[in-house]
Amino acid sequence: MNLGWALTLLVLFPLLGIVVLAFMPKTAEKSIKLVGFLATLPSLLLALAAYLHFKWGKDLADFAVTHDWIQFRGMNADEPYFSVNFELGLSGFQLILVVLTAVVATLAAIASKYVKKEWKGYYMLFLLLETGMLGVFTAENLILFFLFFEITLIPTFFLIGKWGYFEKEKAAYSFLIYNGLGSAVLLIVIMILFAKTGTTNIEILKSIMADPSAPLSGDLKLGLFIALLIAFGVKLPIFPLHSWMLKVHVQAPPAVVMIHSGILLKIGAYGLIRFGLGIFPEQFEKLATLLAILGVINLLYGAFLAFIQTDFKMVLAYSSISHMGIVLIGLAAMNEAGVQGAIFQVISHGLISALLFFLVGVLYERTDTSLIENLGGLAKGMPIAAGFLLAAAMASLGLPGMSGFVSEFMAFLGLFNELPWVAAVGTLGIILTAAYLLRAVLGMTFGQAHREFAGIMDLRGVEFIPVVVLTFLIVLIGVYPSVLSAPLQATLETIMLGLGG
Amino acid sequence: MSSIPASAFLALALILFCIGLYGALTKRNTVIVLISIELMLNAVNINLVTFSKYGAAPSIDGQVFALFAMAVAAAEAAVGLAILMALYQRKKTVHIDEMDEMKQ
Amino acid sequence: MMENAWLIPLFPLVSFVILLLFGKRLKEAGAYVGILMTLASLVFSILVLFERFSEPSYIQKFEWLKIGDVSLTAGFEVNQLNALMLFIVSLVSFLVHTYSKGYMHGDGRFPVFYAYLGLFTFAMLGLVISPNLLQTYMFWELVGLGSFLLIGFYFYKEEAKAAAKKAFIMTRIGDVGLFIGMILLFWKTGSFEYSEIFSAVEAGGISQTMITLTAILIFIGAVGKSGQFPLHTWLPDAMEGPTPVSALIHAATMVAAGVYLVATMFPLFAASKTALLTVATIGAFTAIFAASIGLVQTDIKRVLAYSTVSQLGYMMLALGSAGYVAGVFHLMTHAFFKALLFLAAGSVIHAVHTQNIEEMGGLWKKLKWTAPLFLIGTLAISGVPLLSGFFSKDEILVAAWEGGHPILFVLALIAAFMTAFYMFRLFFMVFTGEARGNQNHVHESPGSMTLPMLVLGVLAIISGYVNTPWFGSFLGDWLVDGNEKLGHGHMEGPIWIMIAATVVSLAGIYLAWLIYGKRSVSRNWLSGSGDTLHTILYNKYYVDEFYQMTVVAVTKGISYFLRFIDVFLVGGIVKGVVGFVQGLGATGSKLQNGQVQTYAAVAFVGLAILTVIFALTGGYLQ
Repeated sequence: MNLGWALTLLVLFPLLGIVVLAFMPKTAEKSIKLVGFLATLPSLLLALAAYLHFKWGKDLADFAVTHDWIQFRGMNADEPYFSVNFELGLSGFQLILVVLTAVVATLAAIASKYVKKEWKGYYMLFLLLETGMLGVFTAENLILFFLFFEITLIPTFFLIGKWGYFEKEKAAYSFLIYNGLGSAVLLIVIMILFAKTGTTNIEILKSIMADPSAPLSGDLKLGLFIALLIAFGVKLPIFPLHSWMLKVHVQAPPAVVMIHSGILLKIGAYGLIRFGLGIFPEQFEKLATLLAILGVINLLYGAFLAFIQTDFKMVLAYSSISHMGIVLIGLAAMNEAGVQGAIFQVISHGLISALLFFLVGVLYERTDTSLIENLGGLAKGMPIAAGFLLAAAMASLGLPGMSGFVSEFMAFLGLFNELPWVAAVGTLGIILTAAYLLRAVLGMTFGQAHREFAGIMDLRGVEFIPVVVLTFLIVLIGVYPSVLSAPLQATLETIMLGLGG
Repeated sequence: MSSIPASAFLALALILFCIGLYGALTKRNTVIVLISIELMLNAVNINLVTFSKYGAAPSIDGQVFALFAMAVAAAEAAVGLAILMALYQRKKTVHIDEMDEMKQ
Repeated sequence: MMENAWLIPLFPLVSFVILLLFGKRLKEAGAYVGILMTLASLVFSILVLFERFSEPSYIQKFEWLKIGDVSLTAGFEVNQLNALMLFIVSLVSFLVHTYSKGYMHGDGRFPVFYAYLGLFTFAMLGLVISPNLLQTYMFWELVGLGSFLLIGFYFYKEEAKAAAKKAFIMTRIGDVGLFIGMILLFWKTGSFEYSEIFSAVEAGGISQTMITLTAILIFIGAVGKSGQFPLHTWLPDAMEGPTPVSALIHAATMVAAGVYLVATMFPLFAASKTALLTVATIGAFTAIFAASIGLVQTDIKRVLAYSTVSQLGYMMLALGSAGYVAGVFHLMTHAFFKALLFLAAGSVIHAVHTQNIEEMGGLWKKLKWTAPLFLIGTLAISGVPLLSGFFSKDEILVAAWEGGHPILFVLALIAAFMTAFYMFRLFFMVFTGEARGNQNHVHESPGSMTLPMLVLGVLAIISGYVNTPWFGSFLGDWLVDGNEKLGHGHMEGPIWIMIAATVVSLAGIYLAWLIYGKRSVSRNWLSGSGDTLHTILYNKYYVDEFYQMTVVAVTKGISYFLRFIDVFLVGGIVKGVVGFVQGLGATGSKLQNGQVQTYAAVAFVGLAILTVIFALTGGYLQ
């Protein structure tokens, strides 16, 4: 059974929404928002269907699709063709990322109801962004990956720059410059690989790299890997390449930050795992200690700085840096527990930060502020929102029974076997995370109310959908982690095989 | 006739070209610059004629081409002088340092 | 029945979910949901306990998470300790649920309170039937959440907010120790299952250093949870929560989880002399340290809180002296009489609306039920003969003596004296003498509050008789049955220890009576020796202030330092790069001066260079 068409549709469906939107009048706010939301649904349903397909024991390879696309060759007729094909596919790892993307995109479309102007342009860019993200996670060759990667860049730039808060232009430019440089480095890596091996298909590249007679010297490979690390390190972000991301978190509209923090940052982790660990396992191993240390630095650096922020959005921004440190820690362990922990953290943080930023949007909509001290005592006026905020913070600080714990636990479990001392320093982050999150969340919800929140509206109507769905998924993963670990088995085995053990 | 070697013609062309180039790059008067360009064109013409006589496969093509070049050069000189006139009328100068419109 | 033990924690969870979803509509009727569900748990627990008397332990597990080839399991286990804990926890929880119906009456967030209680009870019951370390850790954190939520129940009070935060963070510091210890043990033994860990330890494949290290790390977790020095400061502050919560969480169950953990991991501790000594020393020190603070506090709940810390220290001392049975035994009796004391204190607070004992007094006649019950609890904790506390305390003292720690033994004896003194100080100040505060509307609490106290009062008297030197050590024998690693069911100690304990506690009571009852000795007699001592004790040895000045300040300092780095170093590098690029651009744009001659010159130079390169290398086509 070939289901390639389904995957292609899954990726391209949001584009159909753009076409529909193009024919709508600019001022029809309600119907534009409705169409924007509906356009994300087909992809979500298809993604869930794909998950069920897997759950029922069928092969994910059914989803693979290949079409000839571009072919060329050098001046001599006997040279082989260079071909770039349109190749999409799904593995377990990609599958859960696609599901995550589809879920978060739909929920962010709901969160976009707070957008105040030019809804048409907003939703068109939003849907383009969704296609880009879905494409990134399903692309099976590097050039296609790069194309989709760039497609995510441009809409995000405009979404931040046009619909953000006060310093939106600055944030948008710093986003574009950092990420543009990152993708330039990525392009160089891809082109060198293409020129040297004649292919950009990821699976083929893996086998070529594993072959000792490959036409690449060890030094070149190491250089390529470091370049890859920088390219995805900007995205993740790894200290000290993080400053753009703070601005984006603070200035972008909440719905875009949900996407950005929930998924776009995850492209960095995805790239490191799929390309770094997949194509350059030996080089990864060489730099594992460095990566572990970088991970611990990220973890602690973010945590310490989150501890003194006055704006809740900044707390969350630094907390993202801190949590991405856990991804690095898990990867650097290079064993099953660590890598699985890193992947779990990718998903878990995607859900948690989407939830947190949605709540930030809800609060900002009602109070026009996200400063912690201005929000004190919120639990009195908005008990439900405060309750969910606390739940999200608990998930974020790794409370068992929620997704954050499973990932944190596995990442540390992995690293303790390889570099116990580095891991021991890292556990300091567990305490700090609790400290800064409680400081921020309790500062906002508990205590004396500094101002009158009497007439304030609690969560209502459609606002419940994102909150409940995300909380449910977070708890589901925390209580029954097999929903994620089952699809990951095959992926992990391949990675471990690549690592030679 | 044939006692003069090809290298002498080429050297002449080279010297002429260099003089022209030097003039075109350093002179401040636009008319002189234009004349220098003519010198360089003539150097090219000498080369063309030389190779039409002494080249690996001598033929009349080179000389025909030189005649073409002369005609075109004449036309070009006319156009160039016309532009110069127009510029002079606007700026009241033929000094080349004043002509930096390309900067804008 | 034992194969259905997994249902026991689920009842309160159901209560939690129902109350969370429908609490607003149920209002105070929500109490019945909570009470019924915990009653169900209690009935099941009793059935399980009785079944465990006659049948072997039961364990069941299933795969929870697969990591590579390792499969982590979840499940439940019923052994002696678990069955006993199930009974204690579900009983106290049921009683507290009943009690709260009266105590919390009229509170706007009544259903939320019951929901939180349900969540906590679920976590605590889950904790005590966990068959492996990982699951224990998970529930360990969840009880922390329940405790956090309930301490912060009055969220609009700044003190409650601070106390909740402090409780969570302080216990988390301990939890990290447990976390590391657990992971290290996993890599050394290949499993989180208790049985496999113990057999691996016994097999001797692990170095002595590693055993000591992991045992101490796990003990750090227990230190955090059980409020042992130096992580004890959160527990007295936790008294900001409603009083029934203090009875349930911060007296009877959660804080005893640390003791339970050490008891569960006892075979690991037993394998390392150093670890045992650490446990015993910390325990004995905490016992006397907290007792000395309790001497001068004026808040009724804080006095009880410090006595809890001190009693938990006792239990640790017992475990550290290899007195497994003594520790668990005291855990049980303490759960009953301390819960009783807290509930009675709650009843007093309910009546007089203050927590300051200076404003109480003369309540004996007005509170006909509460006062005698409080007295029973006080007698029990003071170790007066024939009540439960006497027997368990005696066991501990014997264990400490037999364990070969005479200094710790003396410390424990002094702590026992102090305990008797400050508990009776509390009793005399609250119930005897003249009324010192405004007591116009003092009335006895409703039946829903007195009845649970009555049950606990009976248990505080009789629960000691399951393990006595006179009528046989039934509990002890049962607890260690089939597991010789846990030591003997009963320790034979010299008879003078029992006499000494009695004398010491009676002396404490007598002194308290002289000062606060008969008032023949001035109240300043103690502090007369120097105001400094009193001030130090009253301010709890300034431990909080010390932490504030060191740990908190250092953390903040690092944070500000890193922010400096973030703004100036990272930001500076970024600015530098931007400046460099801008400079490069500015320089480049100077080349464009509009002079065609310059352009031509540059082009010519470029051509010349290319020609030279061409001439030297022979060109691309070669």
